[in-house]
Amino acid sequence: MTAQSVIQVRDLVKRYDTKTALAGVSFDVNAGEILGLLGPNGAGKSTSMKILTTYLSATSGQIKVDGIDLAQDPVKVRAMLGYLPESTPLYTDMVVRDYLVYVGEMRGFDKATCAKRLAEVAATVGISDVLGMVIGTLSKGYRQRVGLAQAMLHNPKILILDEPTSGLDPNQIVEIRNLIRDLGKNHTVILSSHNLAEVRQICDRIVIIHRGKVVADGTLDELEGRVAHTHHLVVSLASTATAEAVTKGLGGLPQVKTVTVSHTAAHPVAHTTYEVEADADVRTQIATWAQQQGHTLVELRRKSADLESIFQSLTLEA
Amino acid sequence: MWKPIWTIARREMSATFDSPIAYIAATVFLVVTGLLFFFGVGGADDWFVAREATLRPLFEYAPWVLAVIVPAVTMRLIAEEKKSGTLELLVTLPVTDLQIVLGKLLGGMGFLAVALALTLVFPALVMALGRPDVGAMVGGYVGLVLIGTTFLALGLMTSTWTHNQIVAFILGLLLCVFFWTATDALVKVAFTDPPAALQLLSFQTQFASFARGVIDLRNVLYFLSIISVAVVASTYSLQSRHWK
Repeated sequence: MTAQSVIQVRDLVKRYDTKTALAGVSFDVNAGEILGLLGPNGAGKSTSMKILTTYLSATSGQIKVDGIDLAQDPVKVRAMLGYLPESTPLYTDMVVRDYLVYVGEMRGFDKATCAKRLAEVAATVGISDVLGMVIGTLSKGYRQRVGLAQAMLHNPKILILDEPTSGLDPNQIVEIRNLIRDLGKNHTVILSSHNLAEVRQICDRIVIIHRGKVVADGTLDELEGRVAHTHHLVVSLASTATAEAVTKGLGGLPQVKTVTVSHTAAHPVAHTTYEVEADADVRTQIATWAQQQGHTLVELRRKSADLESIFQSLTLEA
Repeated sequence: MWKPIWTIARREMSATFDSPIAYIAATVFLVVTGLLFFFGVGGADDWFVAREATLRPLFEYAPWVLAVIVPAVTMRLIAEEKKSGTLELLVTLPVTDLQIVLGKLLGGMGFLAVALALTLVFPALVMALGRPDVGAMVGGYVGLVLIGTTFLALGLMTSTWTHNQIVAFILGLLLCVFFWTATDALVKVAFTDPPAALQLLSFQTQFASFARGVIDLRNVLYFLSIISVAVVASTYSLQSRHWK
């Protein structure tokens, strides 16, 4: 819609024999942003990406990438894209360096350019020390990096990453997320995920797809604003007062609707945790109140369920 | 146009020779053609008995062996990429499906070249022992390259139909053996005195003149047409993902 949108997806429909995978999906991707395609499994995220990367064709609808109609000139569009499919398919019997040289040559690089880009990209994704290894012997995290390396070897305008962190262990997930965030500084990135925390951490904007339709499209703040009438807060206090007294005290604060005791713990700090639902973000009021009452504040946070609750409300009832 | 084709072909060749199947296939090819060359299938065929400076037995039996080992080499060409998912990356590189098919075919021809090069010991032997008809030998090898490439194209086509390499192999084997024998056998079953037009359809008829040392453009075009049909069919098969 804006002048700087690099990808325009309009009324995308994809029907398989009996199943409708996409029932009219439209969204824009702006230059330089990291867009998260979010949705439950089978929602149509992968199908959208397969169509965007010209692997599949849409039944109807139009996609323009940098002004070029994808149906008209798929080969030209492919040259602008880097793609990491779900589950990172790679030639497992090839040596990493040979594989990347192969991709470079397929992208039309001469030998010198290929060697230069290979070294740069290997350093960026952190695979310089495994270039001589056979892909099949690498850990899942390293394979994911090799997958990212092949996707960005030609310094593409747009990177399309289908579930880039699935199947990785927590440390690898953090590393790959950081890597993607860095890539987002110089590239337009579209990534799909069913992991809300991941999308929250990495993405500038979120498109939620459910049953082949876009059910939400906006920045994290905009989406959270949609359910902002209720704020869920978590308060943990160490106090000599009884839980009932604290509950009552919290409940007496302005705009607080409900207070429930969620659990008590003895270790490492004895405290009781309360969940507070309020009409506004009353964290400062709670902190001030706790101080006045002589309770020691162990933890005070906004429950990170806000995006989850949007997601659930959009995908469960729809 | 040609650079990605060549890049794919080179990768296929090294992938082929990275796997044991290429060595097994090449060894089987050399040993079986060697046995058939020297001993034939009956006493009269025995090279030592016939004492003839000719490669005729080689050209008679090598297509049979090729019909079996070529599909074993081509079965993985596309089916393996379908199974592992790498096809998705390959077809989303800035290349056309036709370039992919041609690259794969060219890669298969690398194996064929190696397999046929191994059999050069037979002409060397024949040359050392007698005065063979060199024209017939050259013609025969041109024919073997053409028929081998035709088998490669058929095997490649069946490899695009499935993600299961065994299925690709069996279908490829059936097609190759069918085209090698059945065009001939069927023609003879259907007609006691086959019309010339039908005889032209037979691989064996088409191949026979090469073994006599005649490189006839019509025979060459015959095999090239079958190869082209298989290449186009493979390309359509790859593209069918768009309308399925």
